[in-house]
Amino acid sequence: MARKESVSTGNAPAKKKSILQVLWRYRVLELMCLPAVVFFFLFSYMPMPGIYVAFVKYNYRNGIFGSKFVGLQNFEFLAESGKLFSLTRNTVLYNLAFIALGNLLAVFVAILLNEIRSKWFKKVSQTLMFLPYFISQVLVGLLVYSLLNYDTGFVNEILTGMGKAKWQPYSDPSVWPVLLVLIHLWQQTGYNSVVYFAAICGIDAEIIEAAKVDGANAFQRIRYIILPSLRSTIVILLLFALGGIVRGNFGLFWNIIGSNSMLYDTTDIIETFVYRATMSDFNFSTASAVGFYQSVVGFVIVMIANYIIKKIEPDYSLF
Amino acid sequence: MKKKLLAALLSLTMVASLAACGGNGGSGSAGGSGDAASVDTKEHVVINYMTTGDPPEAGSEKEQSLNDMLAKLNAILTEKVNAEIKIYYIPWTDYLSNYNLTLARMDGSVDLVGTASDWLDAWPNAKNGAFLELSEDMLKTYAPKTWASVPADHWELCKYNGQIYLMPEDNYAQWTNHGWIYRLDWAKEAGLANGVHSWEDMTTYVKWVKENKTDLKYVWDSDGTQYSQMANGWIVSHSDFVAIDGICSGALWGGKKSDLYTIYAPAMTDTDSLVAYAKMMKEWAEAGVWPTDVLNNTSGSNRDEFRVGQVAVEQHHTQTWTDLCSHTPANTIYDTDPAAETGIFYFGEEAKNVVALSITHGAMAVSAGSKNPERALMVYDLIRNDQDCYNLFNYGIEGVSWEKDANGLRTTPANYNSDTQNINGMTNYWWGRNDDLEIKDATRNWDAIDKLYAEYDKIKIDYPYGQFVPEVDDIQGKIDNCNEQYTNYMKQISFGLYNGSAEDIVAEMQNALKTAGIDDVTAALQTQFDALYKK
Repeated sequence: MARKESVSTGNAPAKKKSILQVLWRYRVLELMCLPAVVFFFLFSYMPMPGIYVAFVKYNYRNGIFGSKFVGLQNFEFLAESGKLFSLTRNTVLYNLAFIALGNLLAVFVAILLNEIRSKWFKKVSQTLMFLPYFISQVLVGLLVYSLLNYDTGFVNEILTGMGKAKWQPYSDPSVWPVLLVLIHLWQQTGYNSVVYFAAICGIDAEIIEAAKVDGANAFQRIRYIILPSLRSTIVILLLFALGGIVRGNFGLFWNIIGSNSMLYDTTDIIETFVYRATMSDFNFSTASAVGFYQSVVGFVIVMIANYIIKKIEPDYSLF
Repeated sequence: MKKKLLAALLSLTMVASLAACGGNGGSGSAGGSGDAASVDTKEHVVINYMTTGDPPEAGSEKEQSLNDMLAKLNAILTEKVNAEIKIYYIPWTDYLSNYNLTLARMDGSVDLVGTASDWLDAWPNAKNGAFLELSEDMLKTYAPKTWASVPADHWELCKYNGQIYLMPEDNYAQWTNHGWIYRLDWAKEAGLANGVHSWEDMTTYVKWVKENKTDLKYVWDSDGTQYSQMANGWIVSHSDFVAIDGICSGALWGGKKSDLYTIYAPAMTDTDSLVAYAKMMKEWAEAGVWPTDVLNNTSGSNRDEFRVGQVAVEQHHTQTWTDLCSHTPANTIYDTDPAAETGIFYFGEEAKNVVALSITHGAMAVSAGSKNPERALMVYDLIRNDQDCYNLFNYGIEGVSWEKDANGLRTTPANYNSDTQNINGMTNYWWGRNDDLEIKDATRNWDAIDKLYAEYDKIKIDYPYGQFVPEVDDIQGKIDNCNEQYTNYMKQISFGLYNGSAEDIVAEMQNALKTAGIDDVTAALQTQFDALYKK
């Protein structure tokens, strides 16, 4: 093999190489990829045929492929609920808010971090912002409840202490879009900003030095060097996020809103509705049908977004 | 091209291998004939008994007393059928999902499954293939005593498609009709000399408690799940509605005592009554009976708070009341306040509408994934019918967890600790208790209990729909949607958490139910009813 390689690389660069030669040539890179490939193969590709469960009346004993085929019956449930529109609307709007505000804030925080001179302060603030990411959603739910509940909540204790009227968020659907977005940002910003921070660190220091020498101040450096260099990162992360735009953050919504039906108008997303409605009859098939619907919509959105970006700026598209 | 071919081949093999996995999932050996003597018990096996309940903390004294009991029990089981029993707990948090999920695994991790047609999805699981069909031969061979003790018409109620799936707890007197459990002594102070006998009395009581017993944590430390029993309680108290069990979690469909086999949905028809309910519950909410954010309250320790006098109301069934009204070691209200009394206002009292328990409210099934269904049946037969096994499994070790008093009643030894030695609270055996073997509990307040049971016996009707196992495949989506709407609105109505008028919220619910297809479901169920009952 080694000789073959030397022959092919040395003698005939113009000749088309066989696939084996290419594989051999990039063996180190491939080895580095291997864990990811194995991971996605095992957990994403292997289970794929199982999507067939969305088209059958699943019976435990007959298994997925032995159960009775029922066509699209499992998909009817979501349409019949009469809630498909409001659920999809809530899911998409929340995700848009999460994606737009989340990325804006993450870029902002990453730039701020980059400008901090004191190394000690930089590390401490980064760690503090990262911490909420590791708190389980269940705890976040309890935390929010003990802050906001009417009878014994922390916020209401303070309000009464100041002689003000109590606040009753758990009976008021209109405040939750803001609250949920805030909670989401609090949890995710530290994590998201790391990616952008890394991208900023990757910018060629010479360009920034040169700008400094030319007399650019900090704001000009951000405006004309850092932000343009982050563009491709932002676009790629946006594309990834768009794929999940009809996929809600179940943990966040379920643990904070839970079964409080007063708030569903503004807080019910596809996941929470499906969980509640199918929990009672433990219907794998319906749940899979909904998941399949979400995947298809997500796939279509990514393809369209990618196509548009490719038209505008081919370098930034995913494929 | 080669790549594509390779990929196609690869996916083909994956499909094939997955299909193979799915196909032979635990078929069990349903056949099994011949007499018990020829049963091969050479190999020692472990039978996993699945029950709902929280396991004792690992390494605790409580766990130790459970293990002590199991050691004794397993010695007997080993000697008689060369098997031992192990408890597989489904903790109370999200129990129904975890229960169903465990059954869906079908990997032999459980053998005996405690189940129920009304609160544990027995029929959906039987239909989904989670339970083994129990042939008459099998039952006669491996569970002969159980087979003999359950009458033929009771076995009929355990059949789906002509096959027996459940072994019913049909010889155990208990009442699981729900009601308001309250402090009778306080009700008397509030001017209700005879106690609470109507929802209006109950309103007087909770308002009086709120004003006069200010050191309580809450009048009722409710959680968001109570709406279902409350709403159904109101409906049966104000009509002769009889709910059909096991269609969905809410009691949406049923018949009338006067006309059992015409299905209707009171949520749609009893508008005036529901408006009155919504108004009364708003009154309770404004009086501050329960936590303001009750729908987000998940703590659910109200019963224990009742035992120690921190709350004044509990909503549960008669069987729970028989415990709470008795001066057991756990109920410290009777120690701190000698005048304390606990009463129950049962739902349906005003309309004399009480339905006796269905015999499949507790039943034992065998998992279709079980590797040893024969031995599982043999173990169940012993626990259900052998006095020694029964006592160990239900009461614990005699002299440690219980003893007999001079009258032959069951009492607790002097050094008994209810926190650590209460075996009954750990084995959760609600799937085959047997009055022939029961030893009456001396700590229970039998005077009050017997009086109530006598009252029930006068007005009760037997559960009329035992043979009805609805075929819901085609209407499942609609049922789920109806149940979802009903749940969402009933929560708001039952806890008075709605904006606008009572009339509006009830009308809104009825519209939502209509959209969700409640009329189609009613019609479909009626068709099945007619096929079954109008022969």
